[in-house]
Amino acid sequence: MLEKQLIERLINTALESTADFAEVFIEDKMQSAIMMQSNTVEQAINNKTYGIGIRVAKGYQSVYGYTNSKNFDDVLKLTKDLAKSFEGKRVRETIELGELQTGKAHQIKRMPDSVDMKEKVAIVKRANVAARAYNDEIKQVSISYMDYVQNVWIASSEAIYVQDERVRTRLGIHAVASDGKDMQSGFNGPGAHYGFEFYETFSVEEAAKEAAKTAITMLHADECPSGVMPVVIDNGFGGVIFHEACGHSLEATSVAKNASVFSGKKGEQIANPIVNAIDDGTIENAWGSANFDDEGRSQQRRVLIKDGVLNSYMIDHINGKRMKETSTGSGRRQSYRFAPTSRMSNTYIDNGDSTFDDIISSTEYGLYARKMGGGSVNPSTGDFNFAVMEGYMIRDGKIAEPVKGATLIGSGKDALKRIDMVGNNLLRAQGMCGSLSGSIPTDVGQPTVRVSSMTVGGRKGAN
Amino acid sequence: MNFDLLFKKAEEKGLESVQIYLEETKQLDLEVFKGDLEKHQMADARELTIQGIYKGKMGKMKTEVINLDDVDQWVDELIKSASLIESQDEVFIYEGSASYKELKGLMQQELEDLDITKKMELVYDLEKKLKARDERVDISEAFYSQSRKRVLLQNSKGLKLEKDVNNAALGAHVVARENDDSRSAFDFAQSNVISDFDLDEIANNTVDKAVSQLGSKSIKSGSYEIVLQNSASASLLAAYMSMFSAESVQKGMSKLIDKVGDKIASDLVTIVDDPFRPKSPKSGSFDDEGVSTMYKEMVSDGKLTGYMHNLKTAKKANTESTGNGFRGGIAPTNFYIKEGTLAYDDAVKNMNKGLIITDLQGTHSGTNPISGDFSLQASGYLVEEGKIVQPVALITVAGNYLSLLQDVTDICDDLKFGLSFIGSPSLKIKSLVVSGE
Repeated sequence: MLEKQLIERLINTALESTADFAEVFIEDKMQSAIMMQSNTVEQAINNKTYGIGIRVAKGYQSVYGYTNSKNFDDVLKLTKDLAKSFEGKRVRETIELGELQTGKAHQIKRMPDSVDMKEKVAIVKRANVAARAYNDEIKQVSISYMDYVQNVWIASSEAIYVQDERVRTRLGIHAVASDGKDMQSGFNGPGAHYGFEFYETFSVEEAAKEAAKTAITMLHADECPSGVMPVVIDNGFGGVIFHEACGHSLEATSVAKNASVFSGKKGEQIANPIVNAIDDGTIENAWGSANFDDEGRSQQRRVLIKDGVLNSYMIDHINGKRMKETSTGSGRRQSYRFAPTSRMSNTYIDNGDSTFDDIISSTEYGLYARKMGGGSVNPSTGDFNFAVMEGYMIRDGKIAEPVKGATLIGSGKDALKRIDMVGNNLLRAQGMCGSLSGSIPTDVGQPTVRVSSMTVGGRKGAN
Repeated sequence: MNFDLLFKKAEEKGLESVQIYLEETKQLDLEVFKGDLEKHQMADARELTIQGIYKGKMGKMKTEVINLDDVDQWVDELIKSASLIESQDEVFIYEGSASYKELKGLMQQELEDLDITKKMELVYDLEKKLKARDERVDISEAFYSQSRKRVLLQNSKGLKLEKDVNNAALGAHVVARENDDSRSAFDFAQSNVISDFDLDEIANNTVDKAVSQLGSKSIKSGSYEIVLQNSASASLLAAYMSMFSAESVQKGMSKLIDKVGDKIASDLVTIVDDPFRPKSPKSGSFDDEGVSTMYKEMVSDGKLTGYMHNLKTAKKANTESTGNGFRGGIAPTNFYIKEGTLAYDDAVKNMNKGLIITDLQGTHSGTNPISGDFSLQASGYLVEEGKIVQPVALITVAGNYLSLLQDVTDICDDLKFGLSFIGSPSLKIKSLVVSGE
């Protein structure tokens, strides 16, 4: 995009000050989206994003600015305005950028822009037909198709000059079931760091049926009883519990400010010893993977919890300074409109020894959360909440009647200690994670896990 | 920028009509954390959305690279997009309303001109007040966020409308700690006139809220009478405002279908969509389709009066657009429950045994906008004989939003808007199911 000399000039202009860090982030992204509802394609839209974000910092004080002007003088003026925050004698030598680094860890076979929109529409239609065919009570289906190619160039005073191409593809299936009185919905949204070849890796029809199944099951479900009980959280998107309850509290964003329940707990037992948790941005072609983070550092595999002991946080460059630790390659951002901060990539609880059947049969009474919805957490208290999208009661060690409207609440540090069974069927699922640096693609994941006691909120009242 | 060339090229290539929507945003964000300027962000960005009707279908594209050399490519893209559309719905590019209300003061030049150091002082001062208010304040953050948005809407039918609004938010976030317990709170104010900001009020509200939550415990499960505080009520209304959208209704995704004229809420409840509210960036005399906006009560003394429409849904329902065509769909402007006359303190005083809800968490996941059901994490205070006896956390409250509106027994006089300009006063509610211990 910008020539190397111009990028160098921006960095050196920013460092004409007492600043000790300067970074240029250039983004060029093309996104396609197709929306289908009521059996017809209602919208097809291409969205081109382009902009430059400039970050200048001294210690852990930083200023950030962005513009989508293509005029270099505008970008230079922005850089000078930002540097004004650190007026004074220059502290860094003139920066010269090295060779442009690129990565090849995630090969793409069919680039989205090489695929005719009609082929993409065909995928949407297959999903629509399959979801509707599942049951007569499926009254409404909406399908959203999305793919993008995000090209970024990142250069900074930390000897970083990289280019990364992130190609991501996702299909969202939303099914609504109704019997004339009640309406319930189900969602499934498979995605990956793939081009159009993604659709050769799984069955679109099965994915659509899965969303429809949730909607139908919940339509015929009773209200969930409330109370404190054991909760079995299934594999795949069930990992959102770890993401919300613990993952966010392990991000340097809150740890560095001493605002996390896990601040200063490195080396301590924070979970049951059967718990191992990992954040891995290197998994080949996974939804939350990339070659580099958004500060230009190589992605890594981070072991967050080893045998229940806190082993590593997720750290970005600036928060690393505050913590006197180095970056773990966890600086991420939605776009040039956001300064990066520490974020998750593909985060999961690793396999344990129990089988799914062991876990269910050893639970006399409780809730089986087969599919989780979204949730949120307050990192300073660790209190979390999330919705159960598809749930069943467990009675006498067997999966019993389906229940709707359940919410799980608790605190992350308690929940980690109360995980008393970990299955051997690890599965990851895709989500969008929203935080300070915007909405980014992340995988959540886990095998089936049992939490010995958890507060379940439901509308049926206490049993 | 002159878009006549685009309109001309589009016509040459067979598009019936074309419309552009150009949005320019300028943004300033400041954040002070424990005495240091933690965030300082400035931004300047433009986004162009182009729509065009080709063979009766609406093509659409967006770009941040706005260069008139690309006009041919834009037209081709519109045709490509339109060619994929199968919807039989009639599409519109609007020639304009008969008149547009003149609104004053949505853009205050003084706010733009005020030196940045003055804005920084404001944030530093607010942050100092947080720490000074109570020694149990462990983490204190204050922020200032200012934005200016300029919109140009122009189409090949001769319509040209412009809008220029600015707004600032000043707020605080604190974590209070005592023994092993920590509680957080957040509060803010919004205006485009700096002198409106009352630093003491923001600081005291935020700190007092966090501190008074220290030592929170769960309570026994059961059914409780409720005072739903203004901001908690606004967050719940935000989760359910799609119920009032004609788009949701026509797609069978709203429980308010066929309910116009019916009593859907307590007589005390009036819900308003007001595009003319002063000092709000959501205010304006036209929507994104160029339709003139209007003040309307969606629910009037408990009765549903109608739905929010854009051009497409209005045509389907054989009615007029209500000027709620925003971002390609339907959205409200300043949307709120009208305030009542009860003082908040009296609402608490005349409660025998009940629960004040100050916060609802997870409204993006624990609410079902179709059925109206919700089950949400809540915090607040337990009230006995008109007095707060205990702070409460780690409970969930469950119910249905439409039943809740029916169960409103009184409305306070403390209307407050959230960051997205959805507002509510505090509501007194007959009962909700609480699960705790």
